[in-house]
Amino acid sequence: MILLDRVTKTYNRKGIALERISLHVEPKEFVIIVGASGAGKSTLLKLLTREEKPTSGKIIVGGIDYGRLKDKDIPYLRRKIGVVFQDFKLLPGKTVFENVAFALEIIGLSNKEIRHTVPKVLDLVGLKGKEEAYPGELSGGERQRVAIARAVVRQPKILIADEPTGNLDPKHAWDVIRVLEKINHYGTTVLLTTHNQDIVNKLKRRVVTISDGHVVSDQAGGTYKG
Amino acid sequence: MNRMIISFWRIVKAGGKNFLRNNWLSVAATAVMMVALTIMLSAVVLNVTTRNAIKELSKQIKVTVYLKDDVKAERRDIIISRLKSEPSVADVSFISRQEATRRFKTTQNADDKAFIEQALALTGAETLPESLEISLTDLSQSGAIVKIAKEDGYKDVVDDVSVGKNDVAKETISRATSAQKYIVRGSIFAAVLFAAVSVLIIFNTIRMAIFTRSEEIRIMKLIGATPGYIRGPFLIESCIYGIIAGVLSNTAVYGAILSLGPKIQNQSEFSATYSFFTSNLVMAGMLFGAIVAGMLVGIVSSLLAMNKYLKLKHW
Repeated sequence: MILLDRVTKTYNRKGIALERISLHVEPKEFVIIVGASGAGKSTLLKLLTREEKPTSGKIIVGGIDYGRLKDKDIPYLRRKIGVVFQDFKLLPGKTVFENVAFALEIIGLSNKEIRHTVPKVLDLVGLKGKEEAYPGELSGGERQRVAIARAVVRQPKILIADEPTGNLDPKHAWDVIRVLEKINHYGTTVLLTTHNQDIVNKLKRRVVTISDGHVVSDQAGGTYKG
Repeated sequence: MNRMIISFWRIVKAGGKNFLRNNWLSVAATAVMMVALTIMLSAVVLNVTTRNAIKELSKQIKVTVYLKDDVKAERRDIIISRLKSEPSVADVSFISRQEATRRFKTTQNADDKAFIEQALALTGAETLPESLEISLTDLSQSGAIVKIAKEDGYKDVVDDVSVGKNDVAKETISRATSAQKYIVRGSIFAAVLFAAVSVLIIFNTIRMAIFTRSEEIRIMKLIGATPGYIRGPFLIESCIYGIIAGVLSNTAVYGAILSLGPKIQNQSEFSATYSFFTSNLVMAGMLFGAIVAGMLVGIVSSLLAMNKYLKLKHW
């Protein structure tokens, strides 16, 4: 599903962010990527969403070789990958329903299809009844679940969650993690980056540790000491 | 295909929303563009009006070729054909003795009447001569026409040639022609100046819209919106400026034409112009031209702003 082969990313100012990283993620896997701030986790995810290009190495996601990907095809790649951010990135002027529908509008789905699909996804993330609320009226956990709903509404094969619990208290953080587990259970590959030791250790999933731009450990059912 | 239509409709709606959201900037951008288009349309109207007026004035000034007595119709036709073949000749009409007499009797100008009566008495002639009245499209060619009429080949036909009291009229037309040039040049300069100002204002309006919506644009990029879907609303927004400005400027110019036109359309210099501008085809053409020009200014401005501020090249 995801293959990184000796991938290096170097920035002109910051220097090396990732160095010869190799990683293979199977379909339907739930992989947690851990590491200190600046270790290279976010760079790794940006390479997968094609916000950044690798300096060298090979990246293949869902059979698409990024080295051969043309700029005009990037939007279509991103439609196959759901992304969730630490700061939610919701549109404050749109309701919960409209925020989720936005992801379907840009691919040209009809209003009828959107009205049919969005409530199902909001139900999946536990936000039934909140359709008309604005992001400002929701708790952090609820906002993050709206972001997850937007990321999965197109049923992507891969969901990338970049520190989705970073701004949440433990209760809401676990609410979000339970939703991610549910989505993974339905067959979506999940890549989660987090600092939260408690979550990593209790989930007992594959843990990839990155330090100074290198993969220093890759363990199934792994743990993390932050 | 269906999805493309749905997406296009959503882009149009988003553009309309942007237009309403940036209300004051939209009003400013539309107003300046309206001024530019009004000047442009006025330049067209002034140009056509002065051209037609000059043409009409030129027609009123005629070269008269007096014919000898008892000229045969065949000889007369030869010189008429020769004169008509000149590009500067608009028309040649034959004035018979009867017609000349009728005109003389009905003329309202007492001075002219007295002058002709006196002349007839002096020459001993009983009737007025036959003549050819030549209307010109280009007054500067009157000398050339006189020369043709005085050619040796027509000596048996032509008695005399008169360019009448044309000097004052020539002077008037010459002044009108040079005024027309200045009007057109001035109008083009003003239209270009205001078009440049509207490009700058729309450029800034779109730039502000891009900054205001930068987070939304980033989210759109990340969730898979195509560059066309992101750019589309900005282009639609600037097209709306052009359409509204085009309609308003056309309304303003036609308001002036329709209120002033009836007062001057009875004057021969302006009647053709008024009929021209009030024909359905020209009215539609002027509206279409104003809208297209407005949209072009809008599209160019927003493309400039997007190329500079909407970073879509490096996804």
